[in-house]
Amino acid sequence: MTPATPNGSPLGFHSYDPGVAAGSLVMWGTPFPIGSGKVDIGAGTADLLVHNVCSVFDVFTVPNSFDPKHALGIFSAIINSMKIEWSGVTRSVLSFSDATNKFRGDFFECSATIAVSVTTPKDTGHGFHFESDPAKTHTDFAQFGTEHNGMFF
Amino acid sequence: MNDENSILWKKVQEKWLTRRNLIRGAAGTAAGAGLLLGSGLRLSALADGEDEGEHNKCKAVPRPIPHISTPPGTHFFFPGPVDASPTTSPNTGHDPSIITDFSGMVANADLIFSGTGTDLNTGASAKYDFHADMRFMDGVFVGLDNERHRGSIGFI
Repeated sequence: MTPATPNGSPLGFHSYDPGVAAGSLVMWGTPFPIGSGKVDIGAGTADLLVHNVCSVFDVFTVPNSFDPKHALGIFSAIINSMKIEWSGVTRSVLSFSDATNKFRGDFFECSATIAVSVTTPKDTGHGFHFESDPAKTHTDFAQFGTEHNGMFF
Repeated sequence: MNDENSILWKKVQEKWLTRRNLIRGAAGTAAGAGLLLGSGLRLSALADGEDEGEHNKCKAVPRPIPHISTPPGTHFFFPGPVDASPTTSPNTGHDPSIITDFSGMVANADLIFSGTGTDLNTGASAKYDFHADMRFMDGVFVGLDNERHRGSIGFI
């Protein structure tokens, strides 16, 4: 989650990600409770609902996230809740297979909305809270599907 | 797994746990409870009543997909159609998952959205905009420990 306003806001920059797990090269990945994300191919929908995601940091900007020294600082933050809903399929890519990147599956392009609440604790000195308005979601790209990659390809 | 790998793996675990403790300590008691009961341990505890034994707890670290997008030089594709041209779009589209050796459900959303931001130190509020690439992968994956795990991984 990065600021969409290049010149920032009167409230300053805030950018949230989980970093890169130690010992892993998986970027910005974090465990969610099993079953928090669901795909319903028949209904043409998917959804994700999580609460209290504590494994995120406020890194202020994306470049600062990639800076090993985090010159702008880095503070533990929390996604209080997040609900993303995918619907309105506009294009289906069925039985797709990519031997180069070793993945296959059925994929459905659509639109999505997000309701998210995130907090940088006040005691960091950069206290910030954000509540999104799901009605004001613009989808650049969204899709859901079933996938098999790597050794499952 | 040879001894050298065992030592390396132990260091990985220690770092992982250290970071988890740091997050829990900084985020407060309620948040820590959420971590413990929610995302933090569910991955390693596994679902469906599976029991991997004590020695395997907290080991479910997935592998990244092989592709590296440069910049920023990390293992992922930018969001886009899975059938994007590898010639004109080498880093956008293709595999939406950030983890490999995975089989399950996947969803990604590249979104721009607005809401209300509040500076908790001054109390000032204003419209605030974010741009986010959010994803989840829920299913079975083979982790760095070469074991098969049932889990859900989010990309934030």
